[in-house]
Amino acid sequence: MRLLVVEDDADLNRQLVTELVEAGYAVDSAFDGEEGHFLGDTEPYDAVILDLGLPKIDGLSVLENWRRDGRVMPVLILTARDRWSDKVAGIDAGADDYVAKPFHMEEVLARVRALVRRAAGHASNELTCGPLRLDLRTSRVTVDGSPIKLTSHEYRLLSYLMHHQGKVISRTELTEHLYEQDFDRDSNTVEVFVGRLRKKVGSDLIETIRGLGYRLGEARDA
Amino acid sequence: MLRRKGEGSLASRLVRVAALWSVLALGLAGFVLVGLYQQAGERAFDALLDQHAKILLASLLPEPDVPAAAAPAPTAGPAIAGQGPVALEPAALRLQAPGALGEPRFSLPLSGWYWSVRSTDGSVLFSSSSLVGDALSLPAVPEGETSLSGFALGPGGEEVRYLRRQLDIGLASYVISVAIETGGFRSDVRDFAGMVGATLAVLGIGLVGAIFWQVRFGLRPLTRLQHSLAEVREGLMDGVDEDMPRELAPLAGELNALIRSNREVVERARTHVGNLAHALKTPLSVLINEARSAEGPLARKVEEQTSHMQTQVQHHLERARLAAQRRVIGVACDVEPLVERLVRAMGRIYRDRDVELDWQAPAGLRFRGEAQDLEEMTGNLLDNACKWARLQVRVQVRQLAADRSGRSFLELLIEDDGPGLSPDQRREAVQRGKRLDETVPGTGLGLAIVVDLAGLYGGEVALSDSDLGGLAVRLTLPAADERLVS
Repeated sequence: MRLLVVEDDADLNRQLVTELVEAGYAVDSAFDGEEGHFLGDTEPYDAVILDLGLPKIDGLSVLENWRRDGRVMPVLILTARDRWSDKVAGIDAGADDYVAKPFHMEEVLARVRALVRRAAGHASNELTCGPLRLDLRTSRVTVDGSPIKLTSHEYRLLSYLMHHQGKVISRTELTEHLYEQDFDRDSNTVEVFVGRLRKKVGSDLIETIRGLGYRLGEARDA
Repeated sequence: MLRRKGEGSLASRLVRVAALWSVLALGLAGFVLVGLYQQAGERAFDALLDQHAKILLASLLPEPDVPAAAAPAPTAGPAIAGQGPVALEPAALRLQAPGALGEPRFSLPLSGWYWSVRSTDGSVLFSSSSLVGDALSLPAVPEGETSLSGFALGPGGEEVRYLRRQLDIGLASYVISVAIETGGFRSDVRDFAGMVGATLAVLGIGLVGAIFWQVRFGLRPLTRLQHSLAEVREGLMDGVDEDMPRELAPLAGELNALIRSNREVVERARTHVGNLAHALKTPLSVLINEARSAEGPLARKVEEQTSHMQTQVQHHLERARLAAQRRVIGVACDVEPLVERLVRAMGRIYRDRDVELDWQAPAGLRFRGEAQDLEEMTGNLLDNACKWARLQVRVQVRQLAADRSGRSFLELLIEDDGPGLSPDQRREAVQRGKRLDETVPGTGLGLAIVVDLAGLYGGEVALSDSDLGGLAVRLTLPAADERLVS
């Protein structure tokens, strides 16, 4: 799962990125509206955390531009202006949720989790696939009730596949959603991660669809 | 207070002053008219009396060759008062009994036409036969004067106009008196005065009426200005009508400038509060999260204090916002689209909760106040309802009947099927400035802000049990006239 944080305050931006990376996300960050808008417009994010008071282009305009251009990723807005008129303006501009400053990081994490999960069509914080179970709140993965230990990239890969169960995911798509923007991407490493995951969760759960990509679980109409 | 008591109505002041002046002027005019009429009548009588006095005098003086009666030898020529001295030969200066004076009424007994000639000692020398031996009782000619005229009573009790004239012939002095009946002249004058009085009274009433209408007509633009200003206060207009007479147009212009400046002040205060909020809240977020991710007593102390700061910042920002509300005048907003927007936003925010949101608001209903404030109040109440509801939230808006002072109100009823509040909790919740829901996620200021904001607008918040099973919040707020809703 790959996120974008657009926040002009360097400290807050760093804190958000650190916490989100710790929670298992690949995170890009931008410090002004222009950079944020460009990234959101060109990269496939699973969710965006957008501050409203940004230099160059304000957050609401960035959001409106994305929506006008057909970008549908869930957006969580951060705002110090916490009157209902501001919140409603944000939601009307296309935001999916808001968090008023000052906030506790746990709240942001919970909201982001919910947004990503909801965007993939899941109602619960626990995603299951056969014997495999992923608790999004604790980032714990169990197979038949026994916890398994995953590296951060393995977790990101599994989480993305669990969110999109039954769908064929291309290697390119996986690469785009597993790594930050500046990461030196090599699609072969995805194969390596898939191989390692198969060993940990069971080889029959992740199916390779030749020429197309990978699929977790039973085939589903996408 | 700028208002002074006891000034009364401007119109009644103008009418009173103009009416007083009219009554005085008309009264004075009446006196002058009656006086002139009386003087003209008196002058006519006096001319007649003068004519008869001259005839009498002429007939008193003997022909030059006629032997004189008992008159002392004169030492100087005779002088008739008011006529200048008459030069007569000394030999001729003896008075003779006058004959007929050409006026038969002097001969008819008690006809009202009389004359007499007295010597200085008061003895009657000659008198008209109409007096039938009686004497005319008239005031004496004052010392230094030569004639006197006036009204007196004749021997028959009738009112007469008389003329007395002193006649000096040589050393002897005589007083000749002529009197003629006025024949109701005085009552004529009284009748004339009555007519003049009645005519002037009618004129006066007409004038006061005209003044009243003139003042009403003249002050009508003031009433229009007042209505225009009331419409601004009601939120129906942005500014007062500047299409006013020359004297009022500057006032209307100044009022509009005041309204604009008021809006600007509020807007600036709002922006300032918003900027302050942004400036404080971002570093506070950083501090809170930095402290939470660190270990040790310092981190715990920072966490504790930042949490305290957060509450204080929130509290005082709300106070500042509320203070900025006080000066807002002349704004209104439509309720229905605002509720619709909020319900839509809530549906999006609480889409995971599977709560059904029913709402109903009549089109055209307007709140007399800032849209932001109505949004804040309704938003907080809806947010609370959605937070606590199990399955259902219901919003109903309706117009209430106007109260005794003619002000109209609207009511927002927001109900949920959540756990509700106990009577004690409800009582505490609607006290201004109290915070009840501190345990609920958020800052816990939601309901307190609604109560405070509603109070500022002269509205109120009432809590009760809902038919749905949870809490019912009834928010009453001033409604604006719906005439100008497009």
